[in-house]
Amino acid sequence: MNRNLYIRCGLGLALSLLGTLAWAQRPLSGKFDLGKKLELSGIVTKVDWRNPQVHVFLNVKSAAGTLNWAVELDSASMLELDGWSEESLRPGEAITVKGSAARDGSRQVWGEDVRYAANGTLVFPPKSKALRKPLVPRPTPRWPDGHPALGALPGTADGYWTEPSKTALVEDGVDVKMSEYGLLANIEDAAKVAPMQPWALGVYRNRQARQLRDDPLFVNCKPPGGPRQYQSPLGFQLIEDRAHQRVFVLLGGGNHNYRIIYLDGRKQQGLVGGDDDNPLYYGRSSGRWEGDTLIVDVVGFNEDFWFTQGGLPHTDLLHLRERFTRTDLDTLRYEVQVEDPGAYTRNWSASWILKWNGGASLPTHFCQNNRQ
Amino acid sequence: MGNPSSSTKWSVVVLAALALAVPIIAQEGHPLKGSWIGVWESNTVHGNDVLMVLTWDGKNVTGMINPGTDNIKVDKASLDPAGWKVHIEADAKDKQGKALRYVIDGALQQLEMPNRAIVGTWQSPSGRGKFEVRRQ
Repeated sequence: MNRNLYIRCGLGLALSLLGTLAWAQRPLSGKFDLGKKLELSGIVTKVDWRNPQVHVFLNVKSAAGTLNWAVELDSASMLELDGWSEESLRPGEAITVKGSAARDGSRQVWGEDVRYAANGTLVFPPKSKALRKPLVPRPTPRWPDGHPALGALPGTADGYWTEPSKTALVEDGVDVKMSEYGLLANIEDAAKVAPMQPWALGVYRNRQARQLRDDPLFVNCKPPGGPRQYQSPLGFQLIEDRAHQRVFVLLGGGNHNYRIIYLDGRKQQGLVGGDDDNPLYYGRSSGRWEGDTLIVDVVGFNEDFWFTQGGLPHTDLLHLRERFTRTDLDTLRYEVQVEDPGAYTRNWSASWILKWNGGASLPTHFCQNNRQ
Repeated sequence: MGNPSSSTKWSVVVLAALALAVPIIAQEGHPLKGSWIGVWESNTVHGNDVLMVLTWDGKNVTGMINPGTDNIKVDKASLDPAGWKVHIEADAKDKQGKALRYVIDGALQQLEMPNRAIVGTWQSPSGRGKFEVRRQ
């Protein structure tokens, strides 16, 4: 092998590795132009059922001949949650697709409306199956000592918290339009979202201008640390291990990560000689009850992830004060105060409501699960 | 041509390692925080290669140039989000022990990348030249 070839091989390896990473899952608006709509009719040739995105391939006849298109859909986990399965569509079936075109002009479309061509039956997105709240609020379940139960009591049906009333972090009282991913409708609203320092506002605007395509959650499957873990449609469970004075937070999304809130008064530090100087994606949590509210103090975050949808920056000075209140059986109120003197000019707060999905199991989502 | 030289092999290994390392050392906080490696070209006093370690305490960027060898403490450092302009001043000593003040002006490039770069110029009473470092 001559010297030039050797160098080319090295460069090729480096670029291909970078390319693979860059083309991993990304936020919808980074890859597709939501303003550029397409309509296709064709025959399904393959269904690639896997995370992070399901793809349906179909042959579409056109003046240029038969061309194969890729229809990108949500993750397999999300589709299964909505009642889809790998068998919902089969090769050979005729479908029509309405959706948004790929920004790079390739034969890819984000499927917003997928129907069987024969009878027009909608196969994606499925009918909304939003959880219904009972007409009369059901009382908050409680442990024998009177504390509210944050999850299912022993002997009762399992369940988890989902359907956050807000899917991106915005300071309470601020009214700005943004997508479910936190992409602002008007980037000039950026400064309203939270009281950012100039550098943080600049970074936030840059992330927004790039359509959130650099989000480490999607690009590198980084965990959804901080308040973001409570804004995933895949939900979370709060498992109370009362014997050991701790609460496990199990995530439906975020690679099925978990986090522990200690209620035994321990210091928020790691093991000496172990991870004591190692900041974490989920930080170190210490909690206590104040009436019917679990108050959690979290510090020790690293800076390797976005702690919100939409890309609000944070630093390792981030300090969260969380409040969990189960106001009735079906409702959990989450409140968070963000203190980060490294990125914000003052403390600020946000809050939202989550619904109890009783009788259901927490979804199991792995970002790069190839289902093998 | 025969076998590749050891420097060529080393280049290949470094390229591959960089590609693998990029996602591992992602940093989404203050854009200047981290370790930066590159060159300050034509620097006859402290050499062509430069290593810079910067941190952010919420109010100030502080750090050290060539820690462990020259230990040039960063005296002033700033980042202007309008154009992502970087300004750094640092006091050093030349080989005779005479005071030498470095002034570095540049701009952040590829802000969104973990291995973003600062590209600009350096100058001191001993000379001036191109300054380019990349975050590791």
